This record gives sequence, structure tokens and C-alpha cells, in this order.
Amino acid sequence: MNYQLSIVNCQLDKVAEEIRRICPSADFKLVLMNNHEDNINIRNGQIEKMLHASATSLAMNLLIDGRDGFFYTNNLQTSALKQFIKNAAETTHMLEPDESRTLADPARYYKGGGPDLRNFDASLSTIDPSEKLRLAQRNNQEGMSLNPHLISFQTHYSDRQHQAHYLISNGFHGYEQSSRCTLTSIATVEGENGQHPADGWGETRIFLSDLPQEGIARVAIDRTLRKIGSKPTQSGQYQMILESPIVGSFLQPILNAMNGQYLHGKMSFLADKLHQQVLSPLVNIVDDPLIPGTRGACYFDYDGVATQRRSLFTEGVLDTYFIDTVFANKLGMKPTTQGIHHLIMQSGDQSLQQLMADAHKAILVTDFNGGNCDPTTGNFSYGIEGFLIQDGQIVQPVSGMNITGNILDVWQRVTALGNDFDPWETELLPSIVFQDVSFGGL
Amino acid sequence: MGFPLTDEQLHKVLSTALSRGGEYADIFLEDTRISSLELQDGTVSQAQQVMLYGAGIRVVQGTQTGYAYTMDLSPEAMLQAARFAGSIQQQTVSPCEIPALKPTPLLTPETPMLEPDASKSILLSIHKRAHEINPLVERVKATIAQRMQNIKFVCSEGTGFSDHRPRTTIFLSIVMQKEGKTQMGFGSRMYQRGAEFITPELIEELLQETIQQALFLFDARQIEGGEMPVVMAAGSSGILMHEAIGHAFEADFIRTGESIFTGKLGQRICNPNITIVDDGTLPYDAGMLRYDDEGTPGQKTTLVERGILTSYLHDRISARHFGVKSTGNGRRESFRHMPLPRMRSTYMCAGEATEEDIIRSVKRGIYAQTFTNGQVQIGAGDFTFFMKKGWLIEDGHLTTPLRDMNIIGNGPETLQHISMVGNNLKIDHSAGMCGKAGQRVGVSQGLPTVLVDKLVVG
Repeated sequence: MNYQLSIVNCQLDKVAEEIRRICPSADFKLVLMNNHEDNINIRNGQIEKMLHASATSLAMNLLIDGRDGFFYTNNLQTSALKQFIKNAAETTHMLEPDESRTLADPARYYKGGGPDLRNFDASLSTIDPSEKLRLAQRNNQEGMSLNPHLISFQTHYSDRQHQAHYLISNGFHGYEQSSRCTLTSIATVEGENGQHPADGWGETRIFLSDLPQEGIARVAIDRTLRKIGSKPTQSGQYQMILESPIVGSFLQPILNAMNGQYLHGKMSFLADKLHQQVLSPLVNIVDDPLIPGTRGACYFDYDGVATQRRSLFTEGVLDTYFIDTVFANKLGMKPTTQGIHHLIMQSGDQSLQQLMADAHKAILVTDFNGGNCDPTTGNFSYGIEGFLIQDGQIVQPVSGMNITGNILDVWQRVTALGNDFDPWETELLPSIVFQDVSFGGL
Repeated sequence: MGFPLTDEQLHKVLSTALSRGGEYADIFLEDTRISSLELQDGTVSQAQQVMLYGAGIRVVQGTQTGYAYTMDLSPEAMLQAARFAGSIQQQTVSPCEIPALKPTPLLTPETPMLEPDASKSILLSIHKRAHEINPLVERVKATIAQRMQNIKFVCSEGTGFSDHRPRTTIFLSIVMQKEGKTQMGFGSRMYQRGAEFITPELIEELLQETIQQALFLFDARQIEGGEMPVVMAAGSSGILMHEAIGHAFEADFIRTGESIFTGKLGQRICNPNITIVDDGTLPYDAGMLRYDDEGTPGQKTTLVERGILTSYLHDRISARHFGVKSTGNGRRESFRHMPLPRMRSTYMCAGEATEEDIIRSVKRGIYAQTFTNGQVQIGAGDFTFFMKKGWLIEDGHLTTPLRDMNIIGNGPETLQHISMVGNNLKIDHSAGMCGKAGQRVGVSQGLPTVLVDKLVVG
């Protein structure tokens, strides 16, 4: 079988035709994806790994009288696809009906006409790989020359192009594309007591030409060196300054609790809290997927439903849940959206340094190390590492400590927001100060 | 099972991969079918099927790896991928000669998938029985998932193998409501075999375990954190072996000097009553391998023998770097990933103390029973794992039920602080997937009851 021919045969309308032939009553959602990726790893001046691949695959939802099957294949040869569709139909027929499993209302579909979202670098898959290699090599040389005493200095370059065609049987045709490229440095150094502390820094952009050519290595090394000698400090109540890159992790349990699946499963501590004050009045968050040139920008979600700017929290009040079509049916609620795309928290006007300078007895948390949050209660315990701050000065790196509490309770104790979010992330979240957080250590 | 490439064509792909002169090349062909059925809200209304098909081609030059994968197994596409993988060899030298490929008969007979109707019937019986066991049961979610992986591996040494790797998993989550409060219990089992282990007896065991866990959580609480002795219960506490020791023994981290255990081979790292192994030979275990994913036979590796560090976990690259034989730990998630040193079933061998003696020896501490997740920082050696269920120990007795506490320690220090080892080794066969470098592979872990003199609990 000629592969190119098989790809042509795999045009979505032909797949749709085959589904209709086998199973005329079926509704379906088809997504034909093409992804391209390059990965380069350089360590201590030597290329360690290079990976290059392109992959095409088909995802298919079949809905037959409330029976819902999800199927995925990357074997797109005609004969294999026919068998795939036949097996999918047989499996779906065997299920029991669930009336909540329907396609979205076509009135909610994206109708097209939006301007270019400027979120796709077409050159990523055609550019000479040696150019990407040179970028990674320059970063690695920069790191090695900044500090020749490192145990290890790694540079990781990766990029990904994503393109997808959608076809939904009740009237949606769509195309989406996105890309990202990331350059990361990771340094490992000789620490105290035989420890080998490591830390890193990375930058991500949509377009390769926007990726910083220098500076990443220095940040990675500085972040690693400052960790030497870290140890637990005394247990107690501290002000917690959460550094911008990890705020998203601390917000995630709250975003999970807004999800229809959690609400329906009675696993959400935000059930029955809509339009109530659940976070500090300083917290204002929106999801805005319609800003061209940002990561996460998109015109429709996986259901084909048009995205829109949506407020999640206004002055700490919960404005919405994430309810897709299926869970809207199950919960008897109005559908909203499947989840977040491009999250923006209203920031403050102080830099991280200013927030630290104002702290009397605080711990700057720079990373989490394990832990979990109970979805039904919001009670959490997370391992942390960071720096003890006294009277505005860093006095000691800390690790081997936990923070504990209730996630809503802690988010109600926000006292200040930084102005330091990374505009190239999919979640634009500044550093945040929380009052009276319980730290467990010595 | 079959792939549309003859041994002659595969030989040509390997020759192309090494045409610039790399030292070693291999091809990993995969045809995998994943199928799952889910029960939710009393009905089996969701199914998933995933087909993965393709080949990964790797060229190794010293510690350098070039890798490309393709879902198109035509000779042209394979040769194109081979040329990219071979480009890791920057300066062209004379290629080595590749011997003719030896036949690779299938090692394991193919296991049939569970018929969907049979799977559906099991799931419905779980729903019914859960509500019979306890009227507080509010919701039952159950999934039976099977992955049938067919692989063929050949390498430039002329050797290879073909294998069928079945894996079946049953997951259960139960939501219970009592006096307006909600709690959840989780349970699972995963084996590399067909669904024949899902017997009525196993279902009853899993239901009782999951319901008891949810009921326990209604009365459990968190306590003020701090440093204290921790008794790790036998079984799922094997996460201590996985996070505190296993990852830092993976020899890619040793080769690069990143691991805190670098340079400790032959040294005493803990008490002589401690022996730790990583085992790829346990029948049906999630970490069992007849051959690893780069053609090394499955085996059992002693990492720590009576307190002495005796071996790291090697793949081909690290083994060649250190001048030792691979320990058969080269594993990969799929053809889309290059192999890395990974764990299989990692456990501590049984000691002599009874669990009662161990608990009795603790004045005030924690008895940690079940866990959800964990992670480790390889260089610093700091690890954490999240205790879902446990007890406060006071004056040698279990007194207060505890939940949702994170336990933190440092690998080498924690090893040195293990003062008692129980006689009750138990391997945990819950659905355990280990993540590293974006790849997930099935593993298991085990531990007898042990006493760690101090860990940070919070």
C-alpha cells in the first residue's frame, strides 16, 4: 500500500462515508491529526539524543442511540481503517444507552470567520534541523562557559506542530493548528552532604524566531546554585510567597473542582458554590482564548463549540463551572465550556523582589515536591522547596517541608499579587502572597 | 501478528541506519490494541479502543542516541527514518558489517481480548454487589482495560525477538455518602496476562478493600506535621523503594553524575538487614519482561545486598559506559519512545521482625498504609509520597485514623534510618505506572513492614 495514497484515502469525508454505510443511524465526531516533533538533548557539550518524527492519527467518537465509543488509530491504511470502523461500530452497539451522551447543539458551533490567531509557525517542520541543533549548542556552550564546575549541564530543545481537521456529523467542519518551541537548561552542581542539587529554566514561544538566543542558561545555573545547603526549617505558620511558575499547580485543584465530571461524581468541594465568594476578593481570573498570538488561543473546543472570553472568578466569586454537553445533560445545567484555554489572573503592581522585601517571616516557595489534594474536601498536603525569608532578606534555602491546609481556606488568605507573570505561558499567573500558611518541617 | 517487512528489508534498514558508521542500531516494531469498557451511573455506556502501529529506529554512538519513528512501515519510510537516526553520527566513518538477522519466533502465545459482553457482565455485577455490601455507596465507577502489545525487535548484532505482552487492569472507585459528607475509595489490580484473574473472589476482595477505605476516611483526619518515626505497612509502602531508591539507581543518572548514589558502588549504604532487588521475572507482574525493549533477557537484579550497594539499573548505553552487562532494564512506553533504564518490580526482601513488634517499638509516630502518588529529586535525593490512609501510633498502639498526609525524606538518609525489617514481604499489584522523561511503563513494588526512625510528615 502506498502510504501517501492511504493518507488521501483517509480524507475525513471518506471515513464519514464508511461510517454511514456500516451504521446509518450513528452520529460521529472525527478528528484527523498531524503532529510533527523534534527533540534535541545536549549534555556537557555533547549531543546526547536527537528525535525527529511526524505522526498522523485519527480520533473518532461514535454515538449510536446514546451509546458512546471513543476510538483512536494511527494505522491509516485503507484496509486497516475499514476494519477499525467495523470494530468500532460493533463495540458501540454492544454498550448500554445513556441519553446524556449527545453531540453539542449545532447552534453553539464555531461558524468561522475569525482572524488568524497567529499561533502556528509553519516553518518548524521545514527548517533545517541543523539550525535547531545550533541553537541548542549555543545554549549549552553558554552554560558550560558560565560555570565550568557543573556536574552536568543539559540543554533540551523541543518543538511541536499540531494540525487537526474536525468533522462532526450534525454540521461542524473545523481546522485548528498550533505550535510551540521550547528551550530549557538544567544544571546539576555539587552540593553539601553528597547532594547534587539540580534546577532549570525554560522558555516557550509559538515561533522559533521569538525564542531567546541567550540568558536561559544563566537563569538555570543561578537557580541551581542558590539551592545549595537547603534543609528543612522549623514548623509553623509563615507567610507563603508562591513564585509565578508554580501558581498554576496550586490553582489546579480549584479548576478541577469546577469541572462537570467532578460535580457529577460528587467529588467537588465547589458543588453548590456558584456565585459565592470562595477565594480572596483580590482574585480575578478570566479565560480568554481569543487573543491572537497567545498560546492556548483557539476558536473552538474538542466538541466544536465556539470559545469565548469567560470570567471564572470576579473578586473571589465563582462565576462559572466547566460543563460540556454530556455533563450539562447529566446535571440538568446549561453547558458552558470543556475547560480552560488561556487563563489570565489580574496581576498586582509589585515585582517578586518587592513582595519579598515586604515580608517579615515568610517562605518563598519555588517548587512543589509531591503531595495531593482531596477533591471532595479540598484538604491538601504538598511537599515544597524554596527559601526562608526574614525581614525581607533570604536567609536560607529550604527543602524537605510540607504545606498543609484546605485549598479554599488558603486561597481566601491572598494578601498581595505580583506583576511577574510569563506572557508566553497558557496560564498567566503572577507570584502571590498568602497569609498564615501551615508549614511542616523540623 | 505480523509486520509487512521481511528480515532482508529490516537488515537493509539497519544497514542504512549505520551507513555513517554508528556503533549500534535497533528497530522496535509495534502493533498494539488497547481496549476498555467503563461502568458509570449503573450502565456500561462508554468504550475506548486505541490502535498503535509503527516502528522506532535507534542508532547509538557511545552515549549518543539518534531516534526516529514512523507509522508508515513501507520500506521507503523506514529507510528515511533510519537515515535521520543515523545522523547522530556526525562524522562519517566506515560502517560495520551487520550479520544476517536470526529468526525471531514468538515468545508468548497471543492472549485473546476479553469479549465485550463478558466484560460488561463483570462490570454490572460489580455495581450490583457494591450496593449490596453497603447502603452508603452512592456511586460506582469501574473499568476493565486491556492492552495487547505485539512487538518485534531486531538489532545490528543480528539478534532479536518477537513477543506478545498482554496486560489487563481493573479499576474501581466508589463514592460513599454519610451524614452529608462524601468520601471516595480507590482500588485496582494490574497483571501482564488476560482477564482470567478477574474472578468473583477477586472482585469481592477489591470491593471490600475499596469500600473499607472510603469508610475509613470518614473518621480519619490530618495531624500537625513534623519529624517522627514512620512504620511503613507491607505492600503498597513499596513506594518507598520506588521513590527513595529505585529512580536514583537508574544508571543514566549515575552515568551523568546526577544521582545522589553516584560513586557508591560497593559501599555500605544501609543496615546489613536490608536487601533490595529489582525483579523482571515475577510471573504476570506488571514489571515482568521476557526480554527488555532492547533485547536483553529479563532477570532479577540485586541492588543492595545486606546493606552494600551491588548494582545499578542498566540499559545498553549505561552498561557499555560502565563496562558491565545490561541488567535488562532498558524499557520504553511504545515505538514512539527511545528506551531508558527503568524499574520493573522493586522490593525489599523480608527480614525477621513481626509487624506487631515493629509497631510496639514506637512511642509516637505514624503507621502508613496506603498511598496515591510520589516523586523524587534524583540529585538531592529528596523524595515524597502521599499517604491516603494510615494511623497515629501512640505508646505502641494504633490510635487515631489518619489521611491525606505527605511524607518527605531523603533517599540515602532514609535508608540509613531503617532500623527494623518485618518478615511479611508483600508485592503490591495495584495498577502502578511509573513516569520518566514523558514515558509511562508498568511497574510494581513491594515491602515488608519496616520502621523508618524519622521522616517529615505533614
